[in-house]
Amino acid sequence: MNPYGDRILDHFRHPRNYGSLDEAQIRTEEFNPLCGDRVRIELAVAPDGTVNAARFQGDLCIIAKAAGSILTELVTGQTLNEVESLRDSKILDQLKIEIRPARLKCALLALVAMRNGIKAHRAEA
Amino acid sequence: MFVSESGDIFGSVTIGGCVDARVIEEAAEIMSSSQPRLINMELGDDEAREIGLACAGSVGIFLEPIAVQSADPINRIYDQAREEWKKGNNFALATIIGGSGPLPAAIGSRALVGKTAGPDSPFRDELNGILAREVPALIDSAAGSQTISYQLEDGSSVDVYLEIFRRPSTLLIFGAGAVAVPLVTLAATLGLRTVIIDASPRFASRDRFPEADQIRVGIPSEIAETLEFGPSTPVILVAHDYKIDLPILKKALTTGAPYVGMLGSRKRGRTILQMLRDDGISEQQLARVRTPIGLDLGGSSAAEVALSIMAEVIAVMHGRSGSSLSASRSGEAGTLR
Repeated sequence: MNPYGDRILDHFRHPRNYGSLDEAQIRTEEFNPLCGDRVRIELAVAPDGTVNAARFQGDLCIIAKAAGSILTELVTGQTLNEVESLRDSKILDQLKIEIRPARLKCALLALVAMRNGIKAHRAEA
Repeated sequence: MFVSESGDIFGSVTIGGCVDARVIEEAAEIMSSSQPRLINMELGDDEAREIGLACAGSVGIFLEPIAVQSADPINRIYDQAREEWKKGNNFALATIIGGSGPLPAAIGSRALVGKTAGPDSPFRDELNGILAREVPALIDSAAGSQTISYQLEDGSSVDVYLEIFRRPSTLLIFGAGAVAVPLVTLAATLGLRTVIIDASPRFASRDRFPEADQIRVGIPSEIAETLEFGPSTPVILVAHDYKIDLPILKKALTTGAPYVGMLGSRKRGRTILQMLRDDGISEQQLARVRTPIGLDLGGSSAAEVALSIMAEVIAVMHGRSGSSLSASRSGEAGTLR
């Protein structure tokens, strides 16, 4: 029996956009002190605010890694405004299983990192 | 071991001290004669040895006078050695302690031999050539300081004591939890360097690891890419977390790390190894992972687990099984304990 579901396991075993970018306008890290997950998000942003490329990296649990993979796929080609308006439920739905409350932080770690990174980027601009 | 004219001592020759008292006694004569000498000592007195109450065997000890003045060549060579050590280089001090026929230099003459320190030595060229050829491999090998008898072209032989100075092993400890704390303390006591790697600044803190040589906080697999893995870097995984164990094992198993151990039950170990197998890691590589980690000492506290891990690391580094000496015959001779 696979408690994670096929979609999560696929993204865990074959994470998309895993790694780093040579040049990124947004680079941010987020740490979950409860489980020790640490993720780094990098976004290459065009002058018009479009995310041309997204990468994530970290030693992450199965759910956090799958969520990072799905999120980076999702935001590529979107504008920063669109990324900022992404709701938690969008990522949770994409994971295709019900995420228990204890694992919500894992599922949303990459999204939280991305939001914080965009916020810091806007503050610097 | 150093013995001063006033009888002060620093260091020791043996761990039990049975020889040291006699060395101190002989030292007085060496200082007054100003001549170095190799002496042989039987271990224990005859009567005690006869009924098995003393260690059997003998030990050769080279004693030499050292003048405090800086012009003394022994001081000079140790100054050079200290400089090499500061630079982080491994090397050997070669000392002539005897031989047969004409010696290539006087007894007590020394040369520093290493990979970067040239043989700026008082020896004849022939011996310098032999040392430059053979000593670098000895410096890298697991064996410690030793005496080697070299045959020279004229039929004579020379006994050279090679004192090996090698950087201490560095334990790469992934995971800064409860077991890592006594691990670092034990490693420091054993003269090993330690690097603690963890994602959490709360766990991997200087407060918790005052004796660690390095504390690295970040993404462990990323930090691992910046670390040097080699024959003197045992790798210990005590994170007890697959998200760290998997990438670090993948990395460590492609390196020459002499020891790769992972904390966890047999069941957990089997699952992790299967995941690595699925990722294409070979059976030969997987066989290097020691899990459950440590020797079977029976303890369960963090300190006891740390001790069992350190005991296994030491055994592996010395090519030993870690079994009780009393249950084998290997400790009967040649080991002073």
